[in-house]
Amino acid sequence: MLGALACLVLLLIGTMVAMVLYTAWPSFRSNGLAWFGAGAPNQGQLDDIFNSPANPAAYQYELRAWPMIWGTLLTTAGAVAAALTISLLSAIFIVEFAPPRIKRVIEPVVRLLAAVPSVVYGLVGVLVLVPFVGNLLVSERRKAEVQYVVQLTGDSLLVAVLILTFMITPIMVAIMVDALRAVPRSWMEGSAALGVNRWRTIWKIGVRAARPAIVAGVVLATARAIGEAIMLAMVSGSWFAPNPLDGFTFLVEPTRPLAASIVFYLEGRTVPPLGQTLAAIAAVLLISSLFLSLAGWAAKQPLKRYGIV
Amino acid sequence: MDPLTPPHAAPLPPPIRRIAVDRSPTTVAAPAAATNGHGHGQPSGIVGGGRHAQRAGRAGVERMRLEDLSISYGRKLAVNRVSLPVRQGEVLALIGPSGCGKTTLLRSLNRLIELTPTASREGRIMLDDQDVDRMEVTHLRRRVTMVFQQPNPFPMSIFDNIAYGLREQGSSRPRREELEPQVIDALERAGLYGEVSENLDHPALRLSGGQQQRLCIARALAVRPEVLLLDEPASALDPRSTARIEDLLVKLRDEVAIVIVTHNLQQAFRIADHVAFMYLGELEEYAPTDQMFGAPRTQRSRDYVSGAFG
Repeated sequence: MLGALACLVLLLIGTMVAMVLYTAWPSFRSNGLAWFGAGAPNQGQLDDIFNSPANPAAYQYELRAWPMIWGTLLTTAGAVAAALTISLLSAIFIVEFAPPRIKRVIEPVVRLLAAVPSVVYGLVGVLVLVPFVGNLLVSERRKAEVQYVVQLTGDSLLVAVLILTFMITPIMVAIMVDALRAVPRSWMEGSAALGVNRWRTIWKIGVRAARPAIVAGVVLATARAIGEAIMLAMVSGSWFAPNPLDGFTFLVEPTRPLAASIVFYLEGRTVPPLGQTLAAIAAVLLISSLFLSLAGWAAKQPLKRYGIV
Repeated sequence: MDPLTPPHAAPLPPPIRRIAVDRSPTTVAAPAAATNGHGHGQPSGIVGGGRHAQRAGRAGVERMRLEDLSISYGRKLAVNRVSLPVRQGEVLALIGPSGCGKTTLLRSLNRLIELTPTASREGRIMLDDQDVDRMEVTHLRRRVTMVFQQPNPFPMSIFDNIAYGLREQGSSRPRREELEPQVIDALERAGLYGEVSENLDHPALRLSGGQQQRLCIARALAVRPEVLLLDEPASALDPRSTARIEDLLVKLRDEVAIVIVTHNLQQAFRIADHVAFMYLGELEEYAPTDQMFGAPRTQRSRDYVSGAFG
């Protein structure tokens, strides 16, 4: 019975993957590997696809998705790097240093934050952070200087990364707290008994022993960051590939990640080529999450032989 | 058997029931007791059997002193006003029935008891005439290291296990070549080097239980402690590994003061120079080993060492 259910789940996932790949195929076939390349602005391309003639032979498929991929990479990498630092340090604090009173408050709050719907975060971003960045962080002069290239409205990479970080940190903290707590006490005591202080003990023994779970937390959070659509669609702005060479402006330049793009063109999905293009975007997300799992698995391997599982 | 094990350890005592063995010293060792008790510095010339023989006439420098030490968990008193000396060059065994506070006492010697949130301590512990409460706790624990009941090697390679304490001592990160002599020395002192010299990079958790425990001893020795605390180090091990660890401790007692908690009276008899018998948190009797097993002063000690309860 349970086996049948498990098989059913596998079957559903398999069907879904097959369906997405099948639907996405025309877009990949038409563009080839150039699909992943850089080129014309994505908005224009997607509009052209949307406005394809009704004749299947004349469907438009041309897409150079790099700006969207770049947007996903930037937001995800930025948010995961920030969240990993913050959550590891806070998990260590909660497990090892926090007084019981603070512990009792922090832990439920963290778990609650992990459950907040992303659209709420998106709303906070739109109402608070975007105006803050748009009105206070970017000078009018700078806006005027770059207005023929990009509009700096406050919808930006910075806000996207900030909110994404805030979204995924609680999950990572919750996972890491559980992991650090599960580290055998005897290891921590053994280290303390050698005259190693609490910080070094939890860092060298605790974090090391908990590394598989920490990796699992990072994978989970990264998957959420890659797939986050609504919130990013609300705060990240229009199609643009932020350029790190722009200095500070890089941070306040808008971007549009893959998942958010799907949300934006969802209404056009009934136009077959656009629907297929969206499926292609979805397929890229799907495959990247597969690689993510593989990377997580690979990251655990070196420690296995030392007895950390 | 590797060359580090003394030949007299080779024939292991058969697993006899405890009562029978505990009684044997009352007849054999009684004469030695008097000499040992007062024989400070003077080898007495009385020869017993096996390791026991080396015991005669040793009384080392006092390294640690417990003064009126009381420890309680919340309201429950676990150790009640215990005063004890710990001397270099001898093995001090803490014996007593379960829950008598001997492990608690041991853990307080390097202030590891402070990791237990409910524990509180009164009285003084002196290390070389310095109050341990006045010392940086990490310094104290480097001078007074500990080996636990369950072998607890870290999930790293054998080399890294030993090097761990050394690496964490300084602010710089010494290279492997610099640490290697110290690591090998520690492994040799713990009598493990012969078995692992070929594979220092193997995971420590793949070793056998006895090897793991000797690795933990080596790890504790690597930081050059002055006092070594052992909490029933052999209780999870087979007799062969136990014998090796006992030999090791007897050999080590000249370099470090050794305090060992043990449930095993034979073990206390075999390796200890002084024995402290604790009962319900009180120090019931502290005496040289021969006297404790030969002519205990109190009725309760007599009952305990003869196996009437425990």
